Parts: sequence; C-alpha cells; structure tokens
Amino acid sequence: MRLAAPVLRQLLTAAAIGVLVFVLMRVIPGDVVDVLGIEGDLSEQEQQALRAELGLDAGWWVQFLRWVGGTLRGDLGLSLRYNRPVAEMIGYALPHTLRLAALALGLGLALGIAAAAVAAARPHGIWPLLVQALNVWSIALPTFCVGLAAILVFSLWLGWLPVRGQLLMPVLVLGIDIAGQIAKPLHEELKEILATPFIRAARAKGLGPGAIVLGHVLPNAAGVLSSVSGLILAGLISGALTMEVLFGLPGLGSLAFQAIAGRDWTVLQSVVLLFALGVIVANLLADLAHRLADPRVR
Amino acid sequence: MPEAPLPTRHVAEAVAAPAASRASPWRRPLLLLALAGLFALVGPWIAPQDPLWQDLAARNLPPQPGAWLGTDNLGRDVLSRLLAGARITVLVAGGATALALAVGAGLGLAALAAGALPAALVFGLIDMIRALPSVLLGLALMVALGTGVGPVTIAIGLSFAPTFAVVARQAWLRERQAAYVEAAVASGTHPAVILRRHIAPNVAGALITQAAIILPRAVTTESVLSFLGLGVSPETPTWGRMIAAGLPFVERAPHAVLAPVVALSLLTLVLAVAGDHIRAAADPLRRGTG
Repeated sequence: MRLAAPVLRQLLTAAAIGVLVFVLMRVIPGDVVDVLGIEGDLSEQEQQALRAELGLDAGWWVQFLRWVGGTLRGDLGLSLRYNRPVAEMIGYALPHTLRLAALALGLGLALGIAAAAVAAARPHGIWPLLVQALNVWSIALPTFCVGLAAILVFSLWLGWLPVRGQLLMPVLVLGIDIAGQIAKPLHEELKEILATPFIRAARAKGLGPGAIVLGHVLPNAAGVLSSVSGLILAGLISGALTMEVLFGLPGLGSLAFQAIAGRDWTVLQSVVLLFALGVIVANLLADLAHRLADPRVR
Repeated sequence: MPEAPLPTRHVAEAVAAPAASRASPWRRPLLLLALAGLFALVGPWIAPQDPLWQDLAARNLPPQPGAWLGTDNLGRDVLSRLLAGARITVLVAGGATALALAVGAGLGLAALAAGALPAALVFGLIDMIRALPSVLLGLALMVALGTGVGPVTIAIGLSFAPTFAVVARQAWLRERQAAYVEAAVASGTHPAVILRRHIAPNVAGALITQAAIILPRAVTTESVLSFLGLGVSPETPTWGRMIAAGLPFVERAPHAVLAPVVALSLLTLVLAVAGDHIRAAADPLRRGTG
C-alpha cells in the first residue's frame, strides 16, 4: 500500500508539531497565574500555591511529559483557567468550527465549479466575466473586510440579520472567497481540455456542450482542484478563525484566541495540535482524492 | 503542484503582442506601488488635524465640512487618523513582506545549498510550521514579542516566511532539472555561472511573484491583529484599531468603521492589481500579455 509512507510521515509531523507547539507556548511571557493574579489581586504566596496546584512549578520537561502522556491516553487535562476538562471545551467548540468550514467549503466548491463549468460551456456569454470577477473579488478583498462590510450593510443598516451568532454571513463570505480561488484555475483547465481531440470526438458523435462538460471535461479537471486544495485549506482555516472572532461564533478560533489572551496553555496546546492534525488529515484526503480521480498518478 | 500550463499559447500571445505593450512590463506595477508608498509617506503630513487630538464635545459626528469623514467615539478626526494610519499599515506590511522574503528564501536556499540532510531538516520544520494556521501563528508570535510597530512587523514577517522558503525550493528544483540548464551543463558552463546567470533570475522571479501575493495579505493580517488588540500599541492609529474602536459605536457613527474598511479594501485592491502585473512581468512566458 503506497499510502503507508505518507501516513507515517504525517504522523511523525504531528508528533513534531506537538513539540513545536509546546515550545512556542512557553516562549510567550507570563502564565495563567499572572493573568489571574492581575484579575483577582492574588498575593505572592497565593500565586505560588496556585502554580503548585496547577503543576506549573514543575520543569518544562515534566510538564511536557505530563501533557504527552495524558494526550496519548486520551486525557487532554483541565483548563488552567476555567478548571474544566479541555476535551469538553473542545467538544463544545469543534462542531461550530466544523459546521462553518464545511458549509463554506461546500458553497465554495459548488459555486466555483458551477461558474467554471458554465463559463467553459458558454465561452461567449457573461459567464467568463463572472469567473474573472469572482477571482478578482477573492484576491483583492480579504474576508476580514468583506465580513465587516457585510455586518455594516446587512446587520446594522438593513437589520436583516443579527451581528453575532448567525452562520449565513460568515458562510457566504468564506464560500464566495473559496469559489473565487477555485473558479479561475478550473476554468483555465477546462478550456485546455475542451481543446483536446477526445472532446472533438465527443462533439462529433453528437453530444451537446452540457453533456461534454459534465461527462468528459469536469472529471478530467479534478486534478486542478486537488492542486489548489492546500491553498484553499489554509485560507479556509485562517478565514474561519477570523470569521468566528468577527461574528462572535463560539468555535475553535474564539477558543484559541481566548486561550492566548488568558495564557491557558493546556487549552491552547490541544486546540493548535487539533488544527495541525486537521490540516494533515485534509492534505492526506486531498492526496487520496487526487489518486482516485487521476489514473496517471495511481 | 501548480505547474504552468502548456506554454505554447502564451508564447504565441507574447509574440503577437503589439510592440507598444512591450515597454517595460514593470512600469505599471511599480507606479502603483510608488503611489501607495507616496500616500503612506505624505499621509500624516497632509492630515488636517492631529490624529491623536481628542475633542470629547464632538464625538461621533457625521461627515461635515472641517471633519470630512466625521469624528470617532473620542472626537478624533477620522480622516486624519486614516491618513496617519496609512503610513503604519504600509510600513508594517512592506517591512513584514521584506522580512519574510529575506528569512524564508535565505533559509530555504541556504539549506538547499548545504546539501540533502540540512535541506530535509529545514524543510521538515517548515512543513510543520505550515500545518499551523498563519493567523494563530501570528497571534502567538505577537503575544510573545509584545505590541508595537517592530514586533508586529516581525510577527507577520516570520509567519509568512515559510511560504517563501517553499516557493524558493519549488523554483530551485524546477530550474535545476530544466532542459536549458542541462544544455548549459552539457556545453561545459561553470556551475557558478549557471547558478548566477540561469537559475538565480528565475528563482528571483518566483520570489518576487510570491512577495506580490503576500504584500496585500500582510496588510490584512496587520489589521486583523490590530483589530484583536494585539497589533501596534493602542494609541497608534492603525486601520485595524480604528475598526475595533468604532465597532461598538457603529450604529451612531457608521462612518468611523466604514472609512477604514473602505481604505483597507482599496489598499489591498491596489496591491493585488499591482501584484497581478508583477506576476505577469516576472514570468517571461506571460511578458507582454499583461
């Protein structure tokens, strides 16, 4: 099985990311006790006692081994700040992030593929311009700006949607951004494929433009999607984090942001590791999809 | 791997391009960049008021003569803050992109030149860093380095550096096995000459293209970090801070949020357009078609 090697390498990467994340957290000055101390006016003795209770007085190595041992046993530990199980906090936040990311990705793929396919089938209409416009939109307008503009227009002036807690606007903003990234390269690829002899053969046997694009061209263009998938994934994750903070969604991005601000290392370590694992799994899936879709890579 | 499509079409287009458009392809994008830079340079000077001066009696005023973009929640002139913030935004984004280019490409190319093992180690580390979302990485670096113009530039620069290393490696590997390099080797050209005359310009082109892509993203990242309260120090006027400060009062003073959002969008648009021209200019196969 040729997949074993990449899986093994990615697992190694995941382990190394664990170390990296841990070190990165410790570079940040201050710890949760400092934050609690400022907020709650703790005395020096109380702070020391709290550090000992949370296990923060132990050396880095001890803390690291505790975290690794716990994580391998499936125990993510307690939040340093809220004293709640980290697994429970992630379990609450994860569905929010997954829902946002999945809906945005679904919308982006549907919109991007549809726009590229229709533009390829009707090269003389308005559709190629639409693909171009989508592309310029996603290059030139960061989701941060579009999200803010959407809040201004639809929440505050028109009053159609609440600012916080709704999914429609963040999904639309992220989805259109993804569609713009997909549509242009896919359209280029579709045009190239349309110019090849086997398409002329399909046309000669009497197939219409719709049937040709759907049945012959699109399946052959799947490779383009997997080649832009890494870029889209990175944009999707960063975009989802920004959208969560902007629209007040209680997802992993908001959780990570609060954990950084509160120096809640146990939460942050697990969240960041989860993000890294997510990227790794998604890359493996994209690789697998590429192999399945393109017989030349098999 | 995003390989270039078959070059024949582009070559045909380039050859067919009228002579007039063969004037230096760099002129338009550099003009746009110079415009953005000039705006950032003179912005604070032509600001009608002190961007930090508060007039608590004149809070959240709508746009009117004397305060063309209105005032914010502390009675500060929005237009003046917008102009003063332009310099910091452009400075941070430009500095961060230059830093990312220097660190990323420098490290990547040095590792490639040092041999297989160093390259494997360095790029293994870089691939790991790339698995972390750049916004989170920037956030963590920001907290570690503290607030201020210098730290935010370093944080954004370091979080974008890995992409430059990867681009440098891709270009390096692609050029090294290109047919023309093989031809140069076969004709007995010294390796140093091949490196300098053939490989270096193409790697540089790929890096410049990447810089053009990263520059507008650095602008946005600075705004997001400032928006989250982690960018430059609170008194410094930046667009992200203006947005964050104005958002709670947006119903009474929408202009205080709208102005920086529009300015931010315009700047990224200009930088993206310049970037597209730069991409065309740096790619010999597309030269003359942009």
